[in-house]
Amino acid sequence: MKKRLIITGGAVALVLLILLFLWKPTVVIYGVQRAGLYSAIAIPMGLVLGIVHIVNLAHGELMMVSAYLTYFLATKLGMDPLLALIPAAVVLFGFGILIYRLTISHTLKAPELNQLILTFGIAIVLVQAVNLIATSQPRKLSVDYVTASAKMGEVHFGIYDFVFVALAVAILLGLQWFLKKTKTGRAALAVGQNPKGAQLVGINVDRTYMLVFGIATALVGVVGGFFLTKQSLFPAVGGPFTMKSFALVAMAGIGNLPAIFFAALGLGVAEAFISSFQGYGGWAHIVFFALIIAVILIRSFRGGK
Amino acid sequence: MTGKIVKSTVLIVLLILALIFPMIAGPYPQSIMKTVFVYMALALAWDILLRSGQLSFGIAGFYGLGAYASVLAVTHLNLGGVSAVLFGGIFSALVALLLGLIILRLRAMYFAITTLALAEIFRVIIRNWKGFAGGPDGLILPSVVFDGAPVPSYLLVLGVVLIVIGASEFVEKGRFRFALTAIRNNEIVAKSRGVNVFTTLLKAFVLTSGLMGMAGAAFSQLYGFVTPENTFSADFTLLPLAMALLGGIYGTWGPVIGSLVLGIIAEYLKLFMPYGHLIVYGIIIILVILFMPRGFVGLIRDIDTRNRSGKGEDTKTSSSKEVPA
Amino acid sequence: MKRFLIAILFITAAVMAMANGSDEETAKPIKLGGVWPLADITGEQASKAAQQAVEEINAAGGVLGRPLELIVIDSEFKPDKGAAALERLATVDKVDVFIGGMASSVHLGQIPTLKKYKKLTVWTGAASHLAEEAIGPDADWYFHLHPWDYNQGEGYVIGWNAISEKYPQIATERWFMAYEEGAFGSPSFDASVAMFSDMGTIDGDSFTSAAAGGGDYTAVLETAKAYKPDIFLWAGYAADALPLMEQSKAMGFAPPLYVGAPPGWPADFGASELAENVTLYGMWAPSISDISAVGKKFTDGYTEKYGALPATYFAPLGYTVVYVVAEAIERAGTLDTEALIKAMEETAYDSPLGETITFTPSNIIKHQGLRNQKILQWQNGRQEVIWPFEYQTAEPVYPFPGWDNR
Repeated sequence: MKKRLIITGGAVALVLLILLFLWKPTVVIYGVQRAGLYSAIAIPMGLVLGIVHIVNLAHGELMMVSAYLTYFLATKLGMDPLLALIPAAVVLFGFGILIYRLTISHTLKAPELNQLILTFGIAIVLVQAVNLIATSQPRKLSVDYVTASAKMGEVHFGIYDFVFVALAVAILLGLQWFLKKTKTGRAALAVGQNPKGAQLVGINVDRTYMLVFGIATALVGVVGGFFLTKQSLFPAVGGPFTMKSFALVAMAGIGNLPAIFFAALGLGVAEAFISSFQGYGGWAHIVFFALIIAVILIRSFRGGK
Repeated sequence: MTGKIVKSTVLIVLLILALIFPMIAGPYPQSIMKTVFVYMALALAWDILLRSGQLSFGIAGFYGLGAYASVLAVTHLNLGGVSAVLFGGIFSALVALLLGLIILRLRAMYFAITTLALAEIFRVIIRNWKGFAGGPDGLILPSVVFDGAPVPSYLLVLGVVLIVIGASEFVEKGRFRFALTAIRNNEIVAKSRGVNVFTTLLKAFVLTSGLMGMAGAAFSQLYGFVTPENTFSADFTLLPLAMALLGGIYGTWGPVIGSLVLGIIAEYLKLFMPYGHLIVYGIIIILVILFMPRGFVGLIRDIDTRNRSGKGEDTKTSSSKEVPA
Repeated sequence: MKRFLIAILFITAAVMAMANGSDEETAKPIKLGGVWPLADITGEQASKAAQQAVEEINAAGGVLGRPLELIVIDSEFKPDKGAAALERLATVDKVDVFIGGMASSVHLGQIPTLKKYKKLTVWTGAASHLAEEAIGPDADWYFHLHPWDYNQGEGYVIGWNAISEKYPQIATERWFMAYEEGAFGSPSFDASVAMFSDMGTIDGDSFTSAAAGGGDYTAVLETAKAYKPDIFLWAGYAADALPLMEQSKAMGFAPPLYVGAPPGWPADFGASELAENVTLYGMWAPSISDISAVGKKFTDGYTEKYGALPATYFAPLGYTVVYVVAEAIERAGTLDTEALIKAMEETAYDSPLGETITFTPSNIIKHQGLRNQKILQWQNGRQEVIWPFEYQTAEPVYPFPGWDNR
């Protein structure tokens, strides 16, 4: 029953997307690109929320830190940012583990709110530390390939942003493989569903949490490196993405990683659609948030939470 | 019995101090206290709803609605400053009533994210509404409340805080407190004990939002303007949350102490460390959460019980991680 | 319970202790109180440049034989904090003059306090016409250096008319404006549309600035491309600059004139090859040193003292405000506000921005300083002044070269 619903829903969505593509091709192109960026950032947050059960308000800020790291590696050592993001992601993995060990692990038994405010404090420290080191002046790397473009009849559009779609899909598939096929991953999934039960069958819950937090931080670090190629950096750049990611994860339903991608797809295309009407771009954000509320409410009326 | 007498004496002394503060302190401390009071009102108002277990991220939203409503009430309805503050509160409460009917079936994170999304929607609507609501520029008042006279405007914010404290203490007493705590602990049990969950939540949500709106209205009347980015700033959501938590949640005095301490520390820090003081602010938040997970009030209570039970020595530090349910 | 109430009392005592700090005697130095957002590059550099000016003046013997002292407090971009900072400067530090300013919303919150003290106030920021309305016509103690939003628009009309007269090959008929949807871009679009009755046709669309979590310009660029403008103008923030241009390149959108109007530029923007021949609006550029001795003194002094070129025009504004005030005090020979206002009205300060600063009435207030921004162009990694012609440092390059042949 549920499967049928998903298949029908998916088919309807696909048909709508194709019709929209015939009417306004750029809306679909840019909407999908936007969705790639949104979901690439949100999926690691969904991982942490699904398994460690904390809302990490420093999520976007960690991406920002990684992007700055990549930036300085790229400018000081002359590395390509897409190469520099590898060491940056490794550093972020360690940084994630450090944050988990020093702070988050001590608050796991406390109410959710404590973790929320704790990560809010971490976010402030990260933003302000970067502000002191690098000032608030925006920085941007200029790399040639981000302006790669394609022509399709009359339409001339950028194609580099599809890299975010690929990145999101890669992160998603990689995580699905990790969670379903590897021993550690299955243990992590078990911990996410029932930490006490997992403990009973001999899984080290604390170590699993640490690993998952480290992986999520490293992933958002990778996204940060890609982000830098496309967008400007400044200390506060991560904040809005923390919020958007949180919204997407809630819309998808906690623990449902693939749904984050589809939620982002819906939102990205809807935003691009509204923006394509001249003078109505300002209302695109309403669509984003109204859709989120609508989905959450509909799900609650259908019986879930 | 003596406890009660001490308590009322302390409260009366505090109230008198708060009232005569403008006479003994200069304009600068008064100005700081006005900011502290606004955040105090927000932190405490937010805590009232939290006592039911419902976590709102929409503080800035209802704060901002109240602020806009009060400015528009002055410019369009010719209300005076004080009545405009009340108007702002009532307006936010009404909006909360309508929205609460729909969204109060949501729980936990889904409720939180919905309130956050609502706050964003308010902001975007106002930013796009150019004529009436001023659009991205915002709106200004022809003159600020009491023409900027410092003492009455101080008393106005103090009045708002006292109303919020009064509301909080009222909620702390009797059946309403029982209902809120019961819902927080276990909704099903609460229902079986005859608590009307939905009505209780709706009452708390409307009260909380109205108080937030009043705080926003007071702020806008003091400083004489509203703008979408400033009035709906995420600071008005996150800082009160942090203040309440640092002071200690589920009670009147935690948020009060938290906002006082954090508000004053922030100001002192800034004077000693003009560039980069916010980093210390963040570190304080982290340290308090790690070492005082139940906030200042929790810490004081711990010391209090320990001393009373005769063990003067520090046997365990911050062992109690769970907030009393 | 008892202890915890006593704890409240202690905290209260701490609050009381904040009450009026120092009761110094009439202090020797002349005190300037500055309020800027110090965590932002604009406020940080404005305050540092103001300090640079204070040190220069003191090294040259001070003012009226007394040294200047600058006390800066962070506004944190918050109106209440900005107002509290003024209260402190007035009552605890007992400053003689208020200076500072960045961000209109902070300023709106400060205006009630400024009106309470009526000290000489010279402001480096806040462009919103609402701020001018809130100040009102009677505040003769108020001097506003930064152009108002509508001043800037008027300046562009004058500028482009002058340019198209001198360089007839430059077409300025069809305009498209991409503006950020917030408090900076949206009013400047409205102001531009209002002025365009006597200057060609204009159309526009909004985008969400990267500074506000946006950064996708595809929709607005599609609209702009379809409009085929002579001049494409974008009004956003520094963070929008390169991403916007990269998306333009990817979409094959290269109008004959590509104009940016952000309040600042990203670090090393000039080093990007996309920057070449982008036209921009600005108050100041390091190239002003070529045509202004004061500009050179400021730029060299700042670079030497702080180890980097100033990155925003708020730096020269911060420097200018100190000199303007110092010279006025010198002329007045006293710190009496009435006399100071008179002396300020006679200001003719040759500023590092190029312009000679004088104060004349604007729409509402009596004392408006700067009005125009300059029209500049990135050439070989440097911002060159194109207009006003008296400050010109280079000839304009036209048309904007396509993206691919760089």
